[in-house]
Amino acid sequence: MKASVLEDEDRNTREVRAPRGTSRWRKQLDERASFLVACALLIGLVAVYGSLRKGVFSFEELNLDTAAAMTLLLAASGQTVVLLRGGIDLSIGGIISLGTVLAATRFGHHPQTAAFWTFLIIAMGLLVGAANGLIIAVLELQPFLVTLTTWAILSGVALIVLPTDGGSLPPGWMKFGAASWFGLSSSVWLLIALLLFWCWFRKTRLCLAIRASGSNERSAYLSGVSLIFSDVAAYALSGTFAALASLYLTTQTGTGSPTIGNGYILPTVAAAVIGGVSLFGGRGGLVGTIVGVFIMTMIGNLVFVLSVSSYWQPVVSGVILLLAVLASSIAEKSAKRNLLA
Amino acid sequence: MELLNASGVSKRYGGITALANASFQGHMGEVHALLGENGAGKSTFIQILAGAIRPDAGLFKLNGAPVRLGNPRQAQSAGIAAVFQELSLIPDMTVEENIWFRHEPLSLFGTVKAAALRKATLDLFRQYKFPSLLLGREVRRLTLSEKQLVEIAKALSHNPRILILDEATSTLALQETQWLLSLTRQLAESGRLIIFISHRLGEVRQVADRITIFRNGTSVAAYDMDKADDDTIVADMLGRRMDRLYPERVPAALPNIALKIRKLESEQGLADVNLDLHEGEILGVAGLYGHGQRELFHSLYGISHARGTIELWGRRVTLRSPRDLLTGKDGIALVPEDRATHGLLLSKSVRENLTLSAIYRCSRFGFTNSRREAALVRAMVESLNIKAAPEQPAGTLSGGNQQKVIFGKMLLTEARILLLYDPTRGIDVGTKGEIFQLMRDLSRKGYAILFYSSDLVELIHVADRVAVFSAGRIVKNFEGDAVTEHHILRAMIQKWDA
Repeated sequence: MKASVLEDEDRNTREVRAPRGTSRWRKQLDERASFLVACALLIGLVAVYGSLRKGVFSFEELNLDTAAAMTLLLAASGQTVVLLRGGIDLSIGGIISLGTVLAATRFGHHPQTAAFWTFLIIAMGLLVGAANGLIIAVLELQPFLVTLTTWAILSGVALIVLPTDGGSLPPGWMKFGAASWFGLSSSVWLLIALLLFWCWFRKTRLCLAIRASGSNERSAYLSGVSLIFSDVAAYALSGTFAALASLYLTTQTGTGSPTIGNGYILPTVAAAVIGGVSLFGGRGGLVGTIVGVFIMTMIGNLVFVLSVSSYWQPVVSGVILLLAVLASSIAEKSAKRNLLA
Repeated sequence: MELLNASGVSKRYGGITALANASFQGHMGEVHALLGENGAGKSTFIQILAGAIRPDAGLFKLNGAPVRLGNPRQAQSAGIAAVFQELSLIPDMTVEENIWFRHEPLSLFGTVKAAALRKATLDLFRQYKFPSLLLGREVRRLTLSEKQLVEIAKALSHNPRILILDEATSTLALQETQWLLSLTRQLAESGRLIIFISHRLGEVRQVADRITIFRNGTSVAAYDMDKADDDTIVADMLGRRMDRLYPERVPAALPNIALKIRKLESEQGLADVNLDLHEGEILGVAGLYGHGQRELFHSLYGISHARGTIELWGRRVTLRSPRDLLTGKDGIALVPEDRATHGLLLSKSVRENLTLSAIYRCSRFGFTNSRREAALVRAMVESLNIKAAPEQPAGTLSGGNQQKVIFGKMLLTEARILLLYDPTRGIDVGTKGEIFQLMRDLSRKGYAILFYSSDLVELIHVADRVAVFSAGRIVKNFEGDAVTEHHILRAMIQKWDA
């Protein structure tokens, strides 16, 4: 790229010129390197999985995989917003646990009670998130520590509500997970709804403000962003998504568990980062996170069809994950070299 | 008509007084320059005006009515927009997203419309005849001067009544600077108040109607531009008369070649660069923005890759990364363009910054000998006259003192080839004088100095010899009496004549 000299001439002619075709294409490629690598990786994993097992390319498989991925996907959506803000949310583990035990113990058999508690659980997620954001912004504390403590508190409350796995959910509630329209299960429709939400949300001023605060806090403040508001909004969204994740989870498991949320905390971060969301804020998006979540689901599927012994499963998936991260980091570095030129 | 009246403005940080009872009166339709040394309180004052920091005391009146400037939003709605030296851009957002950030055109669903955003940006560029900027590019990919243009566009997009330009020309190239200066005049003629800060007296003379001078955290004088000569202005800024800015030019070049470059080429725009830098010589590098000076410095420092041969003190070397160069007396040291991000760790102390690249000089087996380190730091703080305590965070220093810390860090590496990329950018005259004297002293001690400055006048007065870049190659060398502004300018723009 001999950009610098040429551009200077552009500047002297003082007209706005669009970048040329090839270089623009190249630039797009470089700008979104880690996202594209994640996509390639997902395609690769699906191909390998497809060659090992019959019937992978079917609606049925899509329905199954999406259902398997949906809880993590909902939780990771919230995490993505917080990561864009440059924070991290560990409390989603507590919110998910508390959500499932509340649902399993309070829903009863009346649809009205269930609806009421569904509303309460979502409100709980939203308020916990808003509290996280308020504490982080006003007291200027580390998000890691603040959300770690709210996670601990919520986990404790979940154990008080229901000390061991159990409880039950109304049979009608669990039908939601199995329902399907036009051959696509409820989880796939949820995925579509999530994508539509993102298409809208990413263009709102709120999302820009959150992204800007994560990209450069001081600049965002100087531009007129209220940092308190962007923190509260980001963590409240994350809490709400975590609550939705817990509700979805109960449609799959049919029980409540005071510890089940803990297994989701780090995978949400991992999925987002694999999909190209930066841990330092400002960069990435939900589509990347969705790809990341499906990569993790596919790794799970692969380990399953390869009939790896259950003791070795975490080791194998860990190694595959490491390779995935390595590939995207190599691509990112080469892209950076190209762009710095 | 008086538009802005600020009085009794004070601000303290801990024990340090940044502003004490400063006042300012600005009128509609005037370009009002704020002058003063670094650390005189200008920056604090305009940051208060823009709502970026809250004053301890102060009364602000717009058109006679008191206003509150508690945060950037309140200042914006009062019609004040600022182009800060510390840019307020979001690195991960595009040019147009940055310009219209917080007041984007919205659709019915509350979403930002990309097409409307583009159109608004193009209209804005056309209205103010902006030098071309590529839309759709993320700001972190832009050069410093492009970022500066975006920052200016962003301020103009608010259509402010009061526009603050803080060192806005310091990163711009010649043509862009001229454009900005004439735009400044135009904006004033349309009834706005422009508060203009620059360390280049020539520019101030060209645009300003009135000046207010700051010294030691307060406003000390205000007069109409045409009623004051340069000597009075400088004397008011310094609080004393200054002997001379530029040290006497005593060439100390020896025949020994310190840095020899042959056929240096790179994909970033260098084409067949040949250059000899002698021991004890100050070699100036001139060129319009983007004609290869920056690339030369980068490839010499191992930041970017170039083909060709480079010899240091007669020994051929391959440069892959800055680390290859840092150590020892045969090394190269750099004063980078962007002092806040590349030159210093702002949150670290003066001591840590000074010894960052030379920690090997005071450590053994991986342990730092803190007494030896303290001695090195003390010596450097004293000899460079750095006005700060060793444990003070570098970010709290004034621009001039920060630059001195960078010089100190560079000198501690013991390298005797120094690359100085625009070392006086945004620095007050007092410190400038000290830096030029230091360069002269170093050259007499046998240091070889490659010196780029965006200010031609500096090159002419400081460099023994000037190499002019155009389109990635050295098109001309001037020596002795041939080093004049006229000659250099001609060589720089020669390409367009042809």
